[in-house]
Amino acid sequence: MSFTLHDYVLSGNCYKVRLLAQLLEVSYTINPVDFHPGKAHKSPSFLALNPHGTLPVLESGDTVLTDSAAMLVWIAQQHDKQHTWWPINDAECLAMTVQWLGFSSQLTESIGQLRLHTMLNRPADAETLRRQSIRHLRELENHLTEQSIRGQAFLCGKQPTVADIACFAYTALSPDAGLEHTLYPGIRGWLHRIRCLEGFLTMPGIYEAHETRNEHTAAS
Amino acid sequence: MSTQPVSLSRDLTIKQVMRAELGDVDMAVWRSASGVVSAWENRCPHRGMRLSHGFVRGESLACAYHGWHYNCAGACHYIPAHPELAPPKTIKANAYNIAEASGIIWVNATGNVAPIDIPSSTVPVRSIPIACPVESALNGFSKHTHQSLLTQHTQAEIIADTPYVLALTPVGSNSVGVYIAFQHVNDSTTVAHITATDNASMNDVVALSRWANEVRDITEFSAGVSE
Ligand SMILES: N[C@@H](CCC(=O)N[C@@H](CS)C(=O)NCC(=O)O)C(=O)O
Ligand code: FES
Repeated sequence: MSFTLHDYVLSGNCYKVRLLAQLLEVSYTINPVDFHPGKAHKSPSFLALNPHGTLPVLESGDTVLTDSAAMLVWIAQQHDKQHTWWPINDAECLAMTVQWLGFSSQLTESIGQLRLHTMLNRPADAETLRRQSIRHLRELENHLTEQSIRGQAFLCGKQPTVADIACFAYTALSPDAGLEHTLYPGIRGWLHRIRCLEGFLTMPGIYEAHETRNEHTAAS
Repeated sequence: MSTQPVSLSRDLTIKQVMRAELGDVDMAVWRSASGVVSAWENRCPHRGMRLSHGFVRGESLACAYHGWHYNCAGACHYIPAHPELAPPKTIKANAYNIAEASGIIWVNATGNVAPIDIPSSTVPVRSIPIACPVESALNGFSKHTHQSLLTQHTQAEIIADTPYVLALTPVGSNSVGVYIAFQHVNDSTTVAHITATDNASMNDVVALSRWANEVRDITEFSAGVSE
């Protein structure tokens, strides 16, 4: 099923949906919403569509989804015939995927909020958000370190799932919130592997791993 | 400044670039496609962009800003805006002395690099940052035992002090030993680069990774910082 994505280019949660759609080669229509400075996502007509007043929103026929994790599941279940991104045939991996999807929404609340504060001057208790964000990065680093010791390149196994996409966005964007990846080698390697995936999509603040592109310069 | 560890070899795979800080020295450390590791001042000779934002193209590091290419000797050999030009030999990245030994990448920003000789072959565990001075980290890792691997009968010995390297040797044959090389990032940040003796199983390495996280929490708590 094709869909319309109500989208804002700098939003990490919108980016998750664009990224998975690109990786799975799904075409869709973008409706850009003036999140900043217009606050169009708080307008009465937008609130009629999504009472939470948040982006993204996915619309397809009568289906309206207002949570990015739900959108990732909806897209993967329809378009990933191998069932690796939404691993319905592997109980353990599926449960892990749901667990890390839960974690990804905590990242929106910590790193995502700190980033809005840093970039758009949103009032916030920056010190508390910074501590929470570091706690979350450490939790992710601990898990990714164990995964790579076990020979598993991604959050829930050897293959990436929707949970990797969901956690990737705000982790990759954490430098926008003043938190660099320098001291997190496990996270660094994982970010690099996701950026090397075939069909990877960038956004402002998240660049492709140029080194995987065909060398089109005379160099080397 | 002395020789310092900056990463486990495992954590800098080919074509990866990372940033490392040693006091006031900010560096880009990268591994070429064929595996050559270099550590340079984190400053592009062109306009000063951080080279750690760059990307690896084969045996060169390309700056993220205007794409100048530097080879493993640090020499600029290609300027995309002037593809016909052979860049002057004076355009060079400022390279530091580097060595890879015992599964660790060692750098000296001001002199010759002298890696610490870790006695036996090792397997990588993890590099973990601790928000405290190097002495507190050293103390924390010397004291906190692990119930099955690093028991009360473990002997803790400082086998080097510039930089600090700690050897934890449990009593008993076949027991897993641990080596920890401490990177002095600044007075409030230390990174512990941890390896184990090569008789460690995968489950032992996972257990040591968790142990390191616990020691970090306890050490930061007693140093009065908790992140
Ligand atoms: N649970 C939602 C949360 C979406 C969310 O918080 N979106 C942000 C933008 S990235 C937003 O619209 N915030 C409203 C605001 O900050 O005004 C999801 O994952 O899609
Ligand atoms: S600043 Fe590096 S190429 Fe221009």
